[in-house]
Amino acid sequence: MAANKGMQQALVRVKRYLPEEQQKTQSEPFWQEFTVPFDESTSVLDALNFIKEELDPSLSFRWSCRMAICGSCGFMLNGIPKLGCKEFLRNYSVRTSPAQKNTATNTSITASLTVEPLAHFTVERDLIVNMDEFLIHLEAVKPYLIAETSTQKQLQPSLQTPAQLAKYKQFANCINCGLCYSACPQFCLNPEFLGPAAIALAQRYNLDSRDTGKAVRMPMLNSHNGVWSCTFVGFCSDVCPKQVDPAAAVNQGKVESAKSMLIQMFKGSTAHEL
Amino acid sequence: MQQHEFDIIVVGGGGAGLRAAIAAAEAGAKAGSNKAKPLNIAMLSKVYPMRSHTVAAEGGAAAVTRPDDTVEAHFDDTVAGGDWLAEQGVVDYFVRHAYQELVQMEHWGCPWSRKPNGDVQVRRFGGMKTERTWFAADKTGFHMLHTLFQTSLKYPSIQRFDEYFVLDLLVSVQQQVQGVLALEISTGELHMLYANAVIMATGGAGRVFRFNTNGGIVTGDGMAIAYRHGVPLRDMEFVQYHPTGLPGSGILITEACRGEGGLLVNKDGYRYLQDYGLGPETPLGKPENKYMELGPRDKLSQAFWHEQKAGRTGKHHGSDVVYLDLRHLGKAYLYERLPFICELAKAYVDVDPVHELIPIRPAVHYTMGGIETDAHCETTLKGLFAAGECASVGLHGANRLGSNSLTELLVFGRLAGEQAAARALQKGVKVTGLEQESQKLHKKWQTKLHKLTDTSQEARSWVPIKRELVATMETGCGIYRDEQGLQQALDSVRRLQAEFQHVRVGDNSKAYNTDLLHCLELEFSLDVAEAICLAALERRESRGAHQRLDADCTERNDAEFLRHSQVFYVPGKAAKLKWQAVDTHISAPGERLYGSAGSAHAGAAAEVQREPTEFEQKQRGKKEGSSDGGE
Amino acid sequence: MSYKPTLTRTWWLKHRFFMLYMLREGTVLPLVFLLCSLSAGAFALQSVEQFASWQRFMANPWVVAIHTVALIAALYHAFTFFKLFPRVMPIRVGTKLVPPAIMVVGQWLAVVAVITVFLWLFVFSGAAHGIVAGPGGGV
Repeated sequence: MAANKGMQQALVRVKRYLPEEQQKTQSEPFWQEFTVPFDESTSVLDALNFIKEELDPSLSFRWSCRMAICGSCGFMLNGIPKLGCKEFLRNYSVRTSPAQKNTATNTSITASLTVEPLAHFTVERDLIVNMDEFLIHLEAVKPYLIAETSTQKQLQPSLQTPAQLAKYKQFANCINCGLCYSACPQFCLNPEFLGPAAIALAQRYNLDSRDTGKAVRMPMLNSHNGVWSCTFVGFCSDVCPKQVDPAAAVNQGKVESAKSMLIQMFKGSTAHEL
Repeated sequence: MQQHEFDIIVVGGGGAGLRAAIAAAEAGAKAGSNKAKPLNIAMLSKVYPMRSHTVAAEGGAAAVTRPDDTVEAHFDDTVAGGDWLAEQGVVDYFVRHAYQELVQMEHWGCPWSRKPNGDVQVRRFGGMKTERTWFAADKTGFHMLHTLFQTSLKYPSIQRFDEYFVLDLLVSVQQQVQGVLALEISTGELHMLYANAVIMATGGAGRVFRFNTNGGIVTGDGMAIAYRHGVPLRDMEFVQYHPTGLPGSGILITEACRGEGGLLVNKDGYRYLQDYGLGPETPLGKPENKYMELGPRDKLSQAFWHEQKAGRTGKHHGSDVVYLDLRHLGKAYLYERLPFICELAKAYVDVDPVHELIPIRPAVHYTMGGIETDAHCETTLKGLFAAGECASVGLHGANRLGSNSLTELLVFGRLAGEQAAARALQKGVKVTGLEQESQKLHKKWQTKLHKLTDTSQEARSWVPIKRELVATMETGCGIYRDEQGLQQALDSVRRLQAEFQHVRVGDNSKAYNTDLLHCLELEFSLDVAEAICLAALERRESRGAHQRLDADCTERNDAEFLRHSQVFYVPGKAAKLKWQAVDTHISAPGERLYGSAGSAHAGAAAEVQREPTEFEQKQRGKKEGSSDGGE
Repeated sequence: MSYKPTLTRTWWLKHRFFMLYMLREGTVLPLVFLLCSLSAGAFALQSVEQFASWQRFMANPWVVAIHTVALIAALYHAFTFFKLFPRVMPIRVGTKLVPPAIMVVGQWLAVVAVITVFLWLFVFSGAAHGIVAGPGGGV
């Protein structure tokens, strides 16, 4: 993307952190301002790539598909977790005041936003956070189909009606971008909390008509760091770029957890009586 | 330098890599039951596996499913679709194993779309004679990738190295692969991983072109790494233009739109495909396989080029476009079958497909060629295997049919995993002097990285080289090509390769040095680009996705070019090209026809009689005299 | 080398969404006051004097005001809960989801029904049968 005529200018403030530099100087993360040309189609990701290619090659961030499906480019934009590729500078317009005139190019700033790394994760550099903190939780819920298939059945697909598919399909649409974790204050207070995406994924398999692994997954969901750490802030569902509604999954998980604990209690007492 | 020992190394965490790793883990578990220990598998990927570009595949995966379909028909469609440049033994193996692989995905939990009775639903796809494409709405690649990734978590023998960028292969003096050298992105440290078998599953190289449907990571790394070790890149001239990408971004709008009944119209609202050997026009809401919008991708992209030349394309923010019309499908159906397309059109071109036409234009999508392998996925370098888009196992020939590649990564990912496991379990591979080779390789890359990040030298950015490369490839290796353009492109790429030697990255930090990373990717891309240009220049005929405009090259020429191109790397010099025979032992090369011409040729029921269009007359004129064996 | 920002005390003031969340959590306070008042009322049934004093307490404009807030808080909490309910207990007919709006309306209808029953029991019919003979008992 090059600066063309008819392009507007945006002021992009980016939270920087260069671990090696800052270790040397014992300094804190800092803000850096960039002026980026934009038009109707310029995404925040385009803007970051412009900065990297034209203004400061040391700016680091993750990205790949640029079509909101790979889940790489989650950032805090004006404090809200969003995908950089699905947000556009045109939506961050500001009224121009004389003070905001860019003296160098004599053009007005018509948009402005701040870009920070995803909240509640450890920041490794610039806009890159430690995603292992997310993956550990995802892996903990045994997110794969657990089922016994006979050799004969292995040769043919199992049946699943559209109604059975509809029960879990929404939760299968998670792209693992981690925005919901940045929206969750509970995850910040307790990093051991499984969190919205992991619980949604557990629920995705628990609700799958082909799966028989619910009993294996419930102990994780029942635990202190499972569904009960959620206080239903609900912001996770608000920021989800794929309408997965993890808050619904977590709260469905609470119902399931309550049921399974009741069943445990009942079973326990029967066993005792016997 | 940290060192690790494994039995098998998988490079790439996309669909093919994950499928290969799972197959190897399962083979190892079987072997482990009667031998001492299961196989240890390392999977390295420059991004977290679920970011791999498999995630962006939309339409579906092909396998013969309906009772009225046959594997022979799938074979014929694939071979004809590839303009007879496919390895027929490989295609035969593929069509016979496709169904079982998709069933395996189903057993792993892939949320395939279903019929009311619970059976798996199949949809139409371009160039396929019958409905045989399995799909999960319009996010098939996404669901397959996540299913494979999540399933891979079941296998403790698979150890992931996420965000490790593989730089090179460790090859013994006996010319056997013995491992890989990788850069840990988070720390900038070098790691040497040892194994007797290495599987390349690094995906394509679409980012060599400016306007493409691919993610930023699709830079041909694995192809270049194998190529630099003397493994030929085969059929690189065949680069697929997908007919429907969004203008500006190149974001993919799936062929499934047309499979579900979408129409392509020019600026006058005319269904122009009927003028290009794909007609007659099929009635609204009644798509027919291999007619009109369901023709193969190469033909459709070429038709766009002609419309553009004739001035019948519209404009969208400065881009020439034609239009995809989905309006007649209705909101409920669109939201059920094509929800992602609706989301993408709204977000990226502000169009609601329920009520408006989607502007689209062709965009580079897929590299048919790649690392040459035999039918067992092994390359000419012992112990090195390849699968998926980075490989040229010989399935696609000169043009890939939509929905064959998702199945390919399963069928050949699995095969590569099993073959690598067999190789790893083989005893008696004598390797000597490995320590020395390992030291040498480490030293070489240490020096190279040091040179690239040397801040005492003035920084010279890789960015202008990348920009010129992608523009050059677009101009020289487009939908239609000619001698002069290709020669210019090849010269430019070679000049850029030379210029690259002076690049200095401004950032010399260790942790997450993405500037260095993109720079290394560009160097890989340059090698791949040279191979594409050279093969395209030397193939003086028109076949599948490779179309030439210069005299004597506008037709398929089986006498001279019914052969694979092989490009060989020559250190410090220009690459070399050789030709390789094609396996045509099942189906002799015939005329490639679609629409009513195809039906008539296949001896189908009488079609609507009509006058041939000017374009068709020209095409038929050309075809007279070309070799024609018939099916 | 890395850093991890911590949650500040004022995190909930940074977004409207979080403020509404805190407001919802805060609805518990006036409700606790209401429950204490009611418990005191039950205790006051022991003697006429105590009951009279409790009645005076309940008639205090401040107490009335807090109880009004409690009512609004309960309704707000119900509003947030009713909105959540269709997501936690989705009801499907085939592949189609019963529209959340219908479920929300259904829940409010249930609230109206409960209030109607109480009004009938303690206000209208109570006045007619002379069970409740307090001020405002008649229409």
